Amino acid sequence: MSVGRWVGLPSTDPRSAADWSRRRIITNNLRSVLGRAYPRTRGLARERSWILFEILLPFLTTSAFVFVYRALKAPPEYIGFAVLGGAMAAFWLNVVWMMAAQLYWERDQGNLELYFAAPMSFMSVLFGMALGGLVMSSTRAAAVLIIATVVYGVVFSVEQWGLLLFVFLLTLSAMYALGMVLASLFLAWGREAWHLSQLMEEPVYFVSGLSFPVAALGRLGVLAVATIPLATGLDAMRQLAFAGQGTTESVLSPTVEAGLLVVMTVVFLVVARFALSSLEERARRDGRLTMRWR
Amino acid sequence: MTAPAVPILFDPRRTDGRGPSDRLRSFRTAASLGWKMEANWTDPVLFFTYSVAKPVSSALILVAMLQVIAGASSQQYRSFVVVGSALWSFVISGIAGLAWSVLDDRERYRMLKYVYVSPSDFLVVLLGRGAARIGVGAMGAVITLAVGVLLLGVPFDLFLVDWGLLAVTTVIGLGSIVAIGVLMAAVCLQTRQDSWHYPEAVAGGLFLISGAVFPLSALPLAIQAIALLNPLTWWMEGTRLALFPTGTSAIGGTGSLYTELTGSPAPDGPTIVVALLVTGAVVTLVSAVVFRWSEHRAKDRGLIDQTTGS
Repeated sequence: MSVGRWVGLPSTDPRSAADWSRRRIITNNLRSVLGRAYPRTRGLARERSWILFEILLPFLTTSAFVFVYRALKAPPEYIGFAVLGGAMAAFWLNVVWMMAAQLYWERDQGNLELYFAAPMSFMSVLFGMALGGLVMSSTRAAAVLIIATVVYGVVFSVEQWGLLLFVFLLTLSAMYALGMVLASLFLAWGREAWHLSQLMEEPVYFVSGLSFPVAALGRLGVLAVATIPLATGLDAMRQLAFAGQGTTESVLSPTVEAGLLVVMTVVFLVVARFALSSLEERARRDGRLTMRWR
Repeated sequence: MTAPAVPILFDPRRTDGRGPSDRLRSFRTAASLGWKMEANWTDPVLFFTYSVAKPVSSALILVAMLQVIAGASSQQYRSFVVVGSALWSFVISGIAGLAWSVLDDRERYRMLKYVYVSPSDFLVVLLGRGAARIGVGAMGAVITLAVGVLLLGVPFDLFLVDWGLLAVTTVIGLGSIVAIGVLMAAVCLQTRQDSWHYPEAVAGGLFLISGAVFPLSALPLAIQAIALLNPLTWWMEGTRLALFPTGTSAIGGTGSLYTELTGSPAPDGPTIVVALLVTGAVVTLVSAVVFRWSEHRAKDRGLIDQTTGS
């Protein structure tokens, strides 16, 4: 239903104008989600340089890890691990830079106060960012996965396609839910956002076992699987995508890790909602949250 | 009737500036600003932690990969990857520093247009801003090497270091890194806000053809030929040879194009310096031309004060 139907209605007083039906609230928030996702998806077609910078070059980075394994004469499934890690890194980078740090950028650009003033739930903005980011990252991840699989002859051995797809989707939902939590935290931490984003690349890649089985890290690996969705998802997907290929080292079974990802998604969403409410309240009360360059 | 005498209020010769001393002052000011932006947001301990966490983790990823595959027999190769990943943090900060200065000033602080119309040379300002990040990268590289030697068992003998070769390769290599950074700054002048990670993407691409973490002989011959045209390959080789004279060569060895062409198992110091000088000069020339072209195009199309959002 068009929003024009409501806009066109005359209201007798401000209170009645602010009294929206549930349907209107839901429709408005859905439009907000799509509105925020739009620039990210549309931007794909408008900026051609992304083909080089977001597909070809990340593929080359992944290739470097493949050649390290080749130089070491590692078993072929390890090359597959590096390729899978390279594809999932696209999503993680998107979560860190375009979810976690986004509200901080929005404040610097002067958009944040508009978000707070607009008649919508802030969660819609975050969902929109996640949706648009997912589309953006999926193209990059798919390209890295497909090109690297063909070029390096990666052989996947999947016995449970359904579970693999389910774990993949759960990993994405948990990662983007974590991104929503971090978006609020990064905003509150001000200038540390940029540095935190940097800190969430290689150190997280290391503890998540992006290019090697995370179980090799012992207790640190277990801790990572319990707390970082990238580590949990990768460990599960690695077991499912390369089933029966010799390397069985893993922290937990894929089913248990899928359960962990469900828990993470729920917890992160609840925390994100709480953090956003606190931020919104602080923004309205102190009037300082939207001050730029803090 | 003659016009009344007007006192000269402005001396046109002032627009010529004072040459090198003005440039040096611009560089110093930009470097000081860059350092404050990099470092004054937190206390020194936290700043230090943030600065070294990334390069140390990069080295640890590779060490873990080695450990998983080769176990204790990977000692020689461990030195190779630790040195390579330590030096790479220097490359990333050098390349990203200049490009991020453009994006910072244009997209975040919206000061680029004011900086651009100021009497300072724009390129000198960018170099100054980038110098601070290069400093941070250098610190990360040194700490990663120290972690490698102290905690990861990388064999290092201070008395075996060829200090002369180290100094020469560092100076020329630094020039090449800055030249690639200028090239990326030229690219970022043309692209949108989301080009924040472009410098890292380019560095990632170069990572493959620099012999940073694996010998070039692992690559197909055609790609090895491209790698030999890359100044970073020679800089890494020179630094490795200077620090670890008995270590593995990234350029030579069985199956390498270099050994096939020259018959030599690995390049010696003078060969490395000459190759670094030639390839570095070519990259510097190309980056200067591209930067001037990009600057001209940005002015022509109004890109200097254009901000984007996504």
